[in-house]
Amino acid sequence: MNLVGENLSYKLTEELQLRKISFNFEKGKLYTILGRTLSGKTTLLKTIAGLLMPDSGTIKFEGKNFLEIPVWERNIAMVYQQFINYPHLNVFENIAFPLKQRGLDPQKINEEVFNSLKLVGLEGYEKRKIQELSGGQQQRVSVARSLVKNAKILLLDEPLVNLDYKLREQLREEFKNIFINGLSEESIVIFSTTDPREAMELNGEVIVLDEGKVLQVGAAKEIFENPKNLKVAAISNDPPMNILKAEIDSNKIKFENIEIDIPDHLSKIKDKNFNFGIRASDVELNDNGFEFEVELAEISGSETLLHLTRGNAKIITSIEEVMDFKIRDKVKINFKSNKAYAFDETGNLASSPFGGSSV
Amino acid sequence: MNFKHKYIFLFPGLFVLIGILIFPIIFVVRLSLSGWNSYNGLNFIGLENYIRLFTDDPRFWESFFRLSFLSVTTVVLQYVIGFALAHMVWKEIKFQRFFRVLFLIPMMTTPVIMTVIWRTFFHESLGPVNDILGNFGFSPKWLTDPTLAKFTVIIVEVWQWTPFMFLLLLAGLLSLPKEPFLAAAIDGASPVRKFIYVTFPLMAPISIGAIIIRLIEASKIMDTVYVLTSGGPGTSTETSSFYIFIKGLREFQMGYAASMSFTYLIIMIISLTVIAKVLTKLLLKD
Repeated sequence: MNLVGENLSYKLTEELQLRKISFNFEKGKLYTILGRTLSGKTTLLKTIAGLLMPDSGTIKFEGKNFLEIPVWERNIAMVYQQFINYPHLNVFENIAFPLKQRGLDPQKINEEVFNSLKLVGLEGYEKRKIQELSGGQQQRVSVARSLVKNAKILLLDEPLVNLDYKLREQLREEFKNIFINGLSEESIVIFSTTDPREAMELNGEVIVLDEGKVLQVGAAKEIFENPKNLKVAAISNDPPMNILKAEIDSNKIKFENIEIDIPDHLSKIKDKNFNFGIRASDVELNDNGFEFEVELAEISGSETLLHLTRGNAKIITSIEEVMDFKIRDKVKINFKSNKAYAFDETGNLASSPFGGSSV
Repeated sequence: MNFKHKYIFLFPGLFVLIGILIFPIIFVVRLSLSGWNSYNGLNFIGLENYIRLFTDDPRFWESFFRLSFLSVTTVVLQYVIGFALAHMVWKEIKFQRFFRVLFLIPMMTTPVIMTVIWRTFFHESLGPVNDILGNFGFSPKWLTDPTLAKFTVIIVEVWQWTPFMFLLLLAGLLSLPKEPFLAAAIDGASPVRKFIYVTFPLMAPISIGAIIIRLIEASKIMDTVYVLTSGGPGTSTETSSFYIFIKGLREFQMGYAASMSFTYLIIMIISLTVIAKVLTKLLLKD
């Protein structure tokens, strides 16, 4: 009874295509598709919705061949990254639109629309014109419109990306509540995003997509703790995980004249050369540390992101406070080596601090 | 900006405006108050022409109602057919460009010449239409039956001017945002419902504009009638403009023709304003 896709391929352009994607989405669960722009997230969602016909492959839902069912009979709801509403209708009529298409009686429509207006916090706005609303409110209307249908499949294509920072935080929180309270056990929710934090916060099953291929599938925590390879490590962290070419020599990890004692979980690595991975948050300022030069310092919210160099090594560190640095300042840093990752030379995870390993 | 000699700079434009717009209207009003014909001068006779028009000239009013019927019917047909054609080539279809150009051809032809060709087409004994229909035992009197002649005028008008409607509506369709259509399909609207609930309402402002433009144009129907039937048989296809033309330029009752023209202008301004208001109310909710 799941939504099952097998070997879906679709070619839009050379850089935007789906390459043999398979999935198995279960009812009552939230899935997050995590990937960069052009990774095929929207294309995949559109294929599920029926707006695109895959070149090959199958989609089955509740045992039926989904590809043979026209879009308007699929009982799907979709929220887009652009705020899509009907410009000629007011808020109430916008939300009522899908119900009217089903021919429900006005009493019932009224009830349902007001319920979903309440859910997205837009009570009292039902008479407003769409153009009179702010971006965030417009997106709430389209979310309400997708919820009111009680669709069996709810697709959200980067719904928060065009909103400002504050609103995004707030709506993300609300989305979580809506997904928990507002949906039946019968629904499948698929949420796509480029933001790893969003994926972690929604805490569903994560599908990491890159260049139209599925790289890894797993719970958000699993993806975070044990990224399967370098690409996943880059996509599932913001800022991306620092990767340094290093070698192991007499129980030391060495790169750019830096020597770090090898932590226990990396001691099993057999290869001499490997990729040393460490998150920006696991690099700390320390007066007894190694000297790096500041290449760029950016303040983001209440953090400071430092881009540092030393010889050929480039790393990013995030500091949990706002600090003022000048370009070419010298800083001393330390690596929390017990949080370090090792990837072999082909890029696959060799060892992680959370037990994942290939050795 | 307060510039002493600004009127000097405004004058050339104002002069042209006065010359081609203001003066003719004033002159027509003055003319309508005179008994000017080929031998009298611009003698003032008061409202005599208007009294004659409103009390003693059923032919003018008949021609006016005939005109209303013809222009409303042709514009409605042009709108429906034009919308259908525009909708057809709006979608991705094979030979899209070819069809877009094909549908515009009637507009590129010279109306009078095309009407001559249509007259030949519909000629009762020599025309190809009756030649074909004759094989099935029909030979309708396209141009000499009072009812059928109106129908023929409608056919020619619709053929000639649907492309214009098509062009305006296609431009409108192409300017519509794509997003609501994506949403409508997902929201469970079948293609027919999508048209009724999304395409048509979104096209409403453009539709109103196109209909008004065509109504203004259509209410001047003259060349088609002149060439096709000359208002005949009898007066059964005579329109206001054609009747005014007969009175003014055939019988040279210039004063009377001027009073008819002026009355006609006032009626047209009022009725088009009302039509525009009604259409706006009907198609646009707020």
